[in-house]
Amino acid sequence: MIINHPLLGPRDAAEFTYLGDACLIERPDPEAENAIEVFHDYVYLRDNPAGEHRELWFHEHGDRSWLVVTRNTLTHEISKVELARDVALSRGRGI
Amino acid sequence: MADITLTAREPFDGIRLETQGVTLSGVTGKALVSAAIPNGGEARFAKSLQAAYGVSLPAPGATTLSRDGATLLIGLQRDQIFLMFDRTDDWPERSVSGKLGDATCVTDQSDGWVMARIAGPRCRKALERICRLDLHPEVFAEGAVARTLMEHLNVIIWRDGAESCQLLSPRSSASSFLHALETSILNIRQSGTFQLLT
Amino acid sequence: MSQQSRISGGLIDRSQTHSFTFDGRRYEGHAGDTLASALVANNVRLVGRSFKYHRPRGIFTAGSEEPNALVELRSGARREPNTRATAAELFEGLEAASQNWCGSLRHDLLAVNDLFSPFLSAGFYYKTFMWPKAFWERLYEPIIRAAAGLGRLSGLPDPDSYDHGYLHCDILVIGAGPAGLAAAMQAGRSGARVIVADEDFRMGGRLNAETREVDGMAGAAWADSAVAELAAMDNVRLFPRTTVFGVYDHGIYGALERRTDHLRDGEDGPRQVLWQIQAKRAILAAGAIERPIAFPGNDRPGVMLAASVRTYVNRYAAAPGKRIAVFTNNDDGWRTAIDLSAKGIGIAAIVDTRDTEPLTDIPGAAIVMGGRVTATRGRHGLRSITLAGGRTIETDCLAISGGWNPNVHLTCHHRGRPEWRDDIAAFVPGPELPAGMTVTGAANGTLTLGAALADGHNRTSSTLMGLGFRSGGAQPPRGDDEAASVSAFWHVSPGKGRAWLDLQNDVTVKDLKLAHQEGFRSVEHMKRYTTLGMATDQGKTANVPALAIMAECTGRTIAETGTTIFRPPYTPVPIAAFAGRSRGAHMRPVRLTPSHAWAEEQGAAFVETGLWLRAQWYPRDGETHWRQSVDREVVQTRNSVGICDVATLGKIDIQGRDAAQFLNRVYANGFAKLAVGRARYGLMLREDGIVMDDGTAAHLSENHYLMTTTTANALAVFRHLEFCRQCLWPNLDVHLISVTDQWAQYAVAGPNARKLLSKLVDQDFDISNEAFPFMACGEITVCGGTRARLFRISFSGELAYEIAVPARYGDAMIRALMAAGEEFDAVPYGLEALNVMRIEKGHVTGAELEGRTTARDVGMGRMVSADKDCIGKTLSQRPVLVAEDRPVLMGFIPVDRSQTLDAGAHFLSSGVAAVTENDEGWMSSVCHSPILGHAIGLGFIKRGRERVGETVRAADPLRGKETLVEIVSPHFLDPEGERLRG
Repeated sequence: MIINHPLLGPRDAAEFTYLGDACLIERPDPEAENAIEVFHDYVYLRDNPAGEHRELWFHEHGDRSWLVVTRNTLTHEISKVELARDVALSRGRGI
Repeated sequence: MADITLTAREPFDGIRLETQGVTLSGVTGKALVSAAIPNGGEARFAKSLQAAYGVSLPAPGATTLSRDGATLLIGLQRDQIFLMFDRTDDWPERSVSGKLGDATCVTDQSDGWVMARIAGPRCRKALERICRLDLHPEVFAEGAVARTLMEHLNVIIWRDGAESCQLLSPRSSASSFLHALETSILNIRQSGTFQLLT
Repeated sequence: MSQQSRISGGLIDRSQTHSFTFDGRRYEGHAGDTLASALVANNVRLVGRSFKYHRPRGIFTAGSEEPNALVELRSGARREPNTRATAAELFEGLEAASQNWCGSLRHDLLAVNDLFSPFLSAGFYYKTFMWPKAFWERLYEPIIRAAAGLGRLSGLPDPDSYDHGYLHCDILVIGAGPAGLAAAMQAGRSGARVIVADEDFRMGGRLNAETREVDGMAGAAWADSAVAELAAMDNVRLFPRTTVFGVYDHGIYGALERRTDHLRDGEDGPRQVLWQIQAKRAILAAGAIERPIAFPGNDRPGVMLAASVRTYVNRYAAAPGKRIAVFTNNDDGWRTAIDLSAKGIGIAAIVDTRDTEPLTDIPGAAIVMGGRVTATRGRHGLRSITLAGGRTIETDCLAISGGWNPNVHLTCHHRGRPEWRDDIAAFVPGPELPAGMTVTGAANGTLTLGAALADGHNRTSSTLMGLGFRSGGAQPPRGDDEAASVSAFWHVSPGKGRAWLDLQNDVTVKDLKLAHQEGFRSVEHMKRYTTLGMATDQGKTANVPALAIMAECTGRTIAETGTTIFRPPYTPVPIAAFAGRSRGAHMRPVRLTPSHAWAEEQGAAFVETGLWLRAQWYPRDGETHWRQSVDREVVQTRNSVGICDVATLGKIDIQGRDAAQFLNRVYANGFAKLAVGRARYGLMLREDGIVMDDGTAAHLSENHYLMTTTTANALAVFRHLEFCRQCLWPNLDVHLISVTDQWAQYAVAGPNARKLLSKLVDQDFDISNEAFPFMACGEITVCGGTRARLFRISFSGELAYEIAVPARYGDAMIRALMAAGEEFDAVPYGLEALNVMRIEKGHVTGAELEGRTTARDVGMGRMVSADKDCIGKTLSQRPVLVAEDRPVLMGFIPVDRSQTLDAGAHFLSSGVAAVTENDEGWMSSVCHSPILGHAIGLGFIKRGRERVGETVRAADPLRGKETLVEIVSPHFLDPEGERLRG
């Protein structure tokens, strides 16, 4: 597989480590009343789509950036690659 | 105890291998310092870099030589570069922070890596055995740099000439890295019996 | 007589004679021969026995699709079974042997299997060896394994070397026949980066085997000139002897280059190279494979595919027979007869299944239109054929042509399905091709020469345009289109004879019909039940005729029946090639600490921990057991001073305005108020509330920290921290970089540690207990100005320091420490002594922080700060993780102090059965404590803190042991920590 890194261009998947669903960026509020429930869902519940999937890859043997890769799980076609930091900022992940 | 002084020992000191158009040589005596760019301090960092080294910030994947030619600036991450220059003491990061002030966070990396230069008309053929990157000059031109994986090892490679590259790999696995390079060079030896049958 | 079937002409080099042996007999051939063509030239017809029935078999094809002629090549450790003689290049001294017989090839004792063939039909094994169950392993399997199967492995380590490599190109041309060469020339001239790969050692494909002309030149000569022109282009790389075997994601192709298979043993360089080719576009010009017609007795040596017969005659100048008959359903079969006749080979007959006018007249040949071959004769080789109606024709070679199958294999690796084309009675690539692939020539169903040349040229031109290259104005190479009409004909009704479909797996038309009767209607089920299309050839010649018969049985069309799924590899790839150079000691990299050379000089025993090699203990003269060394190291460290290399710990440099905040969030305990010059133990949780890792963080200067991790988790912790930094809190100003390899680091532990270090630390630095107390840290210099860092931290429980110097001084530093320690009898201690001392102190490591335990379980529940959020805090409060009866960390000692303990043992109360329901916990770490003089252990037991003094059983069913142990505090030594503060 080849991942087209937004800063570095196409790189072999061997340089990367896979984590999983990009929803891991959305860490819940620990102050929430039902924090244990929402954290449980955050840690354990995943969609497993046959089709487009947004997932986190770490460029471990590269620039150490976390990427959000949009990949079709049926065809392996990669339609979008973003820096996870940019995604997190745009999602309002603040301080 | 004044009678004990510590002598440096470098894994790639004196390494040299020359065969059929490929030369491998160890490089020692370089200082390597990482400089991180603070959040929101990008403009200030670029300005300090310009003032101190006379060049602009290299993008990830690019290298720039300082105006005085003494420091190579290596773009590795969006918020981090490496600076390489001749080592004069045990605190190379101080010479960088002396120039850039608090526009950056510096870390000495000189001993974290071993360094070798591979050169010659067939060096690309040798690297082809371990390097997944396309090193064709149109793709990986002189001055280009990349951090990648070779034989399970982290490697920083940059092209310092038309037919040469420099390679950095973590110090602790230096012997495995050397073995990987030597094997690649020996495996492309032309035995004379392998030729196209026409 | 040598090479009695050699004829004139051909593309062999008669100036180079190679002698070789087959089944011990010596023969001669020439450079440019394959083993198969040399055997044909020497009139060797019987080359092996079939898989199941041990029927005599001969050479069937002239290419990599060969189902029959599987031989063992070379000898000794280099012996390689199941090698296709048709793809093995001849060299001087080649040794080959036939396989799968008992006794001798000509008189195979297991040929008796053939008599039982009525009982060995499809699914025989499934039906017969069902009962009794216990007989399978003891009786059935050994017998079947001895009787079936093919060649033998040498059983010795492979003496050859293998390698991998990575290539990149704009255009990958797969196959160098007419369409492939036309494509390569067009691509090469445009300046694009081109790779041309062909499985043959001589590029040119069918042009080398036929008598056609291209651009007014003999086809083979044109191919030579095209190859020479390509070889002269800097932008083109030619890979003969290279099979593209698989299509992977995003334009990656797998290819196996056989570099020295055609050379004698002992040549230098890797034997084979497995290439990963990244291509922007691929032009697939893999050609077509001829298919047989099934008829009774069609497996006899001497029955061959027609174009293969033509190849032996034209390319290899070897005649497979003296009087050859042709059985065909298409025009191409006639071309074989014409070519052979032109070479002076007698043509006995042309039997064409079509009821049409003969294409031509061949002098001396019986022409039978609308004919059928219904039987063959000849024990070890063909003597005659019988036609429908009873006419018998004497012939020693029957050339059969059932039409051509475009080689669609690689087009289906992304699950594309081929489509049926009635006009050529064959499957062609479907519309769903792997991204970036274009198919051309015969592989795409363009079976005639002129059209294939033009197709290769034109499709490449459009591909080049798509990549932004100018394709130049060159004209395609010119060639005529031959007559290529075909009328589908799959098998002659077998009557009572057996008509073979899959020669490699001994599957007949009848087997297929039986499978259908028994309800196996899908092609995938048919394949697995009958084994048709399995093994080394994957049914390259058998599949389509079998599908046709399936279609016949089910009353569907062939298109409706469909094919089985094609998967990589196209032809077999040795496991050794996949392993490449990653073998033995070079299986993976090794990491060495800066003291490694010194430790080797001391005769240290080393142990692998992850990639690291670490000193386990340092034996001294007279020590005969590792325990003696380890006990001595522990006692001497606790009594005076010991030195341990701890460079393997992960070290992460953390800087930035928000570094303290960051640490406060990733560690469970508080870090917001750690003063500069101080270090603190840190416990890191996973988000699920389980402990992830532990270590220390030292506050070196304002906004600058150094974190240490365990050796094993260094990479995972770094990855986790980058995740937190980039994905969770992208607004924090914090920067991470690994300095694990930057620093050599030594623990100096024991009552004399300070005295020892004082001799090395430069006078400007005060390391007295007052100035540099427990958990102090700082930048210092040693030995007259060398940079160093000092940390007053202790894993052993002794007065201890860790001293770090830049790694290049690591070797000198260990020597300096040992020299300075001489007056204290300082000892180096290894990983085992370190482990003993930490167990004595009740310190946890990976054995306790093993991915299931919480801070509370290991007795650090109170460290999880109540005042702040951190990763893992919320879920660490889940009911299941705070349940009262969770096993907690305790110490254990054997009631009988002379007994040893076992890690992995489970705790049981007295009088209960050793079953899971009664499990109360487990022993995680054990050692012999030389200080206490008996075995001690750490482990987890339910409600342990309330049970101090209780005796339980430590049961170890794996080792068959049970030990009575007493529950004690996990802090065996100096529970108040007076030593380390001294």
